[in-house]
Amino acid sequence: MSECVWIHYARPRPHWYGLDDAARSAHEARWRAVAEQSVSAGGSRVGRYHVRGQQDYETVEIWRFSSAEAAFEHWAALAAAGYGELNAFANNIGLAIEGSP
Amino acid sequence: MTLLTEATDVFAAAERNGRCLVAFIAKRRPLAKSLFGREQSRRLSDLLRALQAEGWLMSVRAMFEPNGAAEASAFDCGFAHDADMMGAFEAPSLSAALAGTVRLERAGWARLFATEWLLGPREFSPVQGRGGRTDHCWGFLALWEWNDAWSAATKAERRAYDEECDVAFNGDLALGANIAGRHRLDWASRWHHAGLWEAPSLAMRGHEAAADFKFTTSRHYVGRLRPLQDFIELDAERG
Repeated sequence: MSECVWIHYARPRPHWYGLDDAARSAHEARWRAVAEQSVSAGGSRVGRYHVRGQQDYETVEIWRFSSAEAAFEHWAALAAAGYGELNAFANNIGLAIEGSP
Repeated sequence: MTLLTEATDVFAAAERNGRCLVAFIAKRRPLAKSLFGREQSRRLSDLLRALQAEGWLMSVRAMFEPNGAAEASAFDCGFAHDADMMGAFEAPSLSAALAGTVRLERAGWARLFATEWLLGPREFSPVQGRGGRTDHCWGFLALWEWNDAWSAATKAERRAYDEECDVAFNGDLALGANIAGRHRLDWASRWHHAGLWEAPSLAMRGHEAAADFKFTTSRHYVGRLRPLQDFIELDAERG
């Protein structure tokens, strides 16, 4: 197993803006629970940043995972929780370079 | 793994086995003489054989016949696209797939090609077209992204859409095309899933009529079957 970086770009889909606060909060609580589970499983969330000024997406979120499989499990759990239906996204996976200067 | 969408009449859920698609869309790089010579060609060929020994499938064809012809192959697509070849391998795991792309790039692939690698697990099993095995000399790679309209649609609307798309997929099968199931890409791409066809011709005309693109943005590549070695040796001869 080799450490991976997982880079996640996202922006809300149009129908997100039609949800009331309670509905948004319920969705966000589900996605937060997925993130907490991924941290419990050994993932590390570097942070979430606003990039709307330079990007097609609104935010970029960066994670470190112990393997490609762990990154996949994180995303698959988010997808199963309806994340992709309310957010447009683009994801990247990268393998840590050993001995990098 | 929860399926992105449910199985259909055409496509059945595949048993989850951890294996991973390694699709590639590659554009030949203009190289100065001697930057890719016989040594690089040999290293790359050796690595392709090593990956196969590690349990990789080296072609779309092998997804239908894992124990059949083992030759690594790709599809020559330069006549129709801004890429020169496309194709797909299958790795034993996601980790092996990701590490494999780095190994290939370092063994010389990166000197030959600027490549978009697309990785992801299988969701649906391969589907054989009707009729006998014909000359499947054409390959077709489709990349899909479900759009905002799909995302806002109800489950019933999506199901109706899937059933409509099945009409087009059945049309492909009736023409003798084989479809390598469906792989999800969404965890490491902007694309949500991929499909690969091998076909005796490019007469796949049902998809527009079936409103296949009502709910998706998609990108398609067509190419002519060719041994991967041809692409590697052609360049070695320039060295």
